[in-house]
Amino acid sequence: MSYALQTLLHERQRYASGVLAVTFSAVLIALQCGLLLGLFKITSIPIDQTEGRGNSADVWVGSTGVPSVDLGKPIPTSYLTRIAGRPGVGMPELYIANFGNFTKPAGGTELCFLLGTLLDPDSLGAADVLTPELRAALTEPFTIVVDESDVNRLRLDHPYGKPKINGKEVKLVGTVKGLRSLAAPWVFCSLHTARQLLGFLLPPDHVTYLIARCDSPARARAVAKELREQYPDDMTAYTAQEFSTESRVYWLLRTRAGIALGYAALLGLFVGAVITAQTMYSATVASAKEFAILLALGIPRWRIAVMVLTQSFWVGLIGIALAYPICLGLREAVRAKIDVDLRGEILAGTAGVAILMALMAGTWALRSVRRIEPMDLLR
Amino acid sequence: MPAVATNPTLKGVHLTRTYGDGAKRRAALRDVSIDLFPGQLVLLMGPSGSGKSTLLAVMSGLLEPDSGQVLAEDGGDLRDVWTMTPKEREDFRLRTTGFIFQGYNLFPALTARQQLEIVLKWGGYAGGAEARRQADDMLEKLGLLPNRHKKPAHLSGGEKQRVAIGRALVKDPTFVFADEPTSALDWENGQRVMELLRDAAHDRGASILVVSHDHRLLPYVDVYYHLEDGHLEERPLIPAGH
Ligand SMILES: Nc1ncnc2c1ncn2[C@@H]1O[C@H](COP(=O)(O)OP(=O)(O)OP(=O)(O)O)[C@@H](O)[C@H]1O
Ligand SMILES: [Mg+2]
Repeated sequence: MSYALQTLLHERQRYASGVLAVTFSAVLIALQCGLLLGLFKITSIPIDQTEGRGNSADVWVGSTGVPSVDLGKPIPTSYLTRIAGRPGVGMPELYIANFGNFTKPAGGTELCFLLGTLLDPDSLGAADVLTPELRAALTEPFTIVVDESDVNRLRLDHPYGKPKINGKEVKLVGTVKGLRSLAAPWVFCSLHTARQLLGFLLPPDHVTYLIARCDSPARARAVAKELREQYPDDMTAYTAQEFSTESRVYWLLRTRAGIALGYAALLGLFVGAVITAQTMYSATVASAKEFAILLALGIPRWRIAVMVLTQSFWVGLIGIALAYPICLGLREAVRAKIDVDLRGEILAGTAGVAILMALMAGTWALRSVRRIEPMDLLR
Repeated sequence: MPAVATNPTLKGVHLTRTYGDGAKRRAALRDVSIDLFPGQLVLLMGPSGSGKSTLLAVMSGLLEPDSGQVLAEDGGDLRDVWTMTPKEREDFRLRTTGFIFQGYNLFPALTARQQLEIVLKWGGYAGGAEARRQADDMLEKLGLLPNRHKKPAHLSGGEKQRVAIGRALVKDPTFVFADEPTSALDWENGQRVMELLRDAAHDRGASILVVSHDHRLLPYVDVYYHLEDGHLEERPLIPAGH
């Protein structure tokens, strides 16, 4: 065990505040990022929750420059021919996605988002969680399915009144789980129902998206690229993965949540860094006499600097080690309500930032090492 | 007393040192010259504030004199410690000099053995098993081998000072400077420390300068200097019992 780590463990109380400061910063950063990522994952649910979870072999075609899945404008169904018949590409499928005006049974309106898809078992667009029973029920015109978390919001639990979408009466035939919504509840229905509900909002022979399955993810990327290059003016093509990311990033930037997150994380980082730096500084000052002896004996100052930086590194590492279980615990605690996405990148990035912060704090504490003079021992 | 080599290994020549300036100006050393020979244990006494620590610091390369020279034998030549570059001086101290102070200044987290090993490793003397062997050899000479795994909190004052002595001696220095090494100890432990320092001088041929207030140390030393008001004089050793 290194002298640095040994000192750290021996003088736990002295270093505890630094370790906890790192933990605090790390938890703050990881949770903020995870929360935001989890939140904005919702924006791409229509893409991600379809067959094979945002199957990377799918190609999505929408209106020109569509930045997010909820912002697609109608495109002619005839674009099918542009996609069909390419080698390694399956038969394209129609997909309708549009905002609707939901009138709650008890009165009052709410924005909702209609997702009209094919309902057969191998439909690319239908949400996975739609069971065969639900799909069968949805074939009846003007029937809808919503997520159970939105039932109350749309007052669909109301015993009497009739819910309406765009002024047309609809009937709830079931609910699904796990497809939370952000601004507007998702409403799942058949292509036919969606078309009826949208009326003149969707011109005849138009849909919002065309989806096609490709042989492989690589083929999907190639096809999307081909389509983009071939038809740059009147449509856009993405792989499912690209479109999913695109949608999340769009909302992240548009809502400025990213910037808010940046500030909050920076603040947490700053507070953590100051406390850690202070801890390292006072720890170094406390060892000044021992270090001074070593300097008197002719041991180069950089040895001491390395020891202080090593200690900082350990402070960072232990801080992170404590932060992980806290983050994961908090994620579990709120799982039922909010999805905190603590993916590997976030955990690794947080660790990197926290350790960097600890090392910078250590570097700052080195100023006290520079001031140590062996002469001080001779007073 | 062992045979004394004819050439001093460390010479202070016409050293002066003042602190402060203007009205606060105070001379701590006024034209002090001193020779340290190999194999000698030298005692420096004098009243408080007489400049003992100042002389020790100047001679050991820690404090620059206002004038005068500190000449050290280094590879056959005499070199002025205070014309070396700071890096050379650090390197010179690393190769030749050991220190012992009144406070033991041991790392609280490290065991007795590690306190010695750190000097050998970080000083580039020895690493790994060799550093451990040398540290244990030294601890054995100091009667501390059974305590080698103990941290300072579990050592007595005398044991701690012996570890500090081990730290100073483990690299086998040419010069050892000790400022009040016994004053925090009871007389029994103080005697033990002086015996160890005497052995280090006589057996290893080190030049050892001990600063102290305590007249009881006189029987242990080879040479006795008295410093008062910045002036140094060598005094005869009165044989013990008189
Ligand atoms: N850094 C300093 N600045 C100003 N004056 C100093 C400084 N260091 C020492 N002095 C003064 O120089 C004189 C000699 O100090 P020094 O420490 O060498 O005495 P000393 O003989 O070791 O005393 P003691 O036995 O009390 O340790 C004293 O008057 C002291 O006040
Ligand atoms: Mg003194």
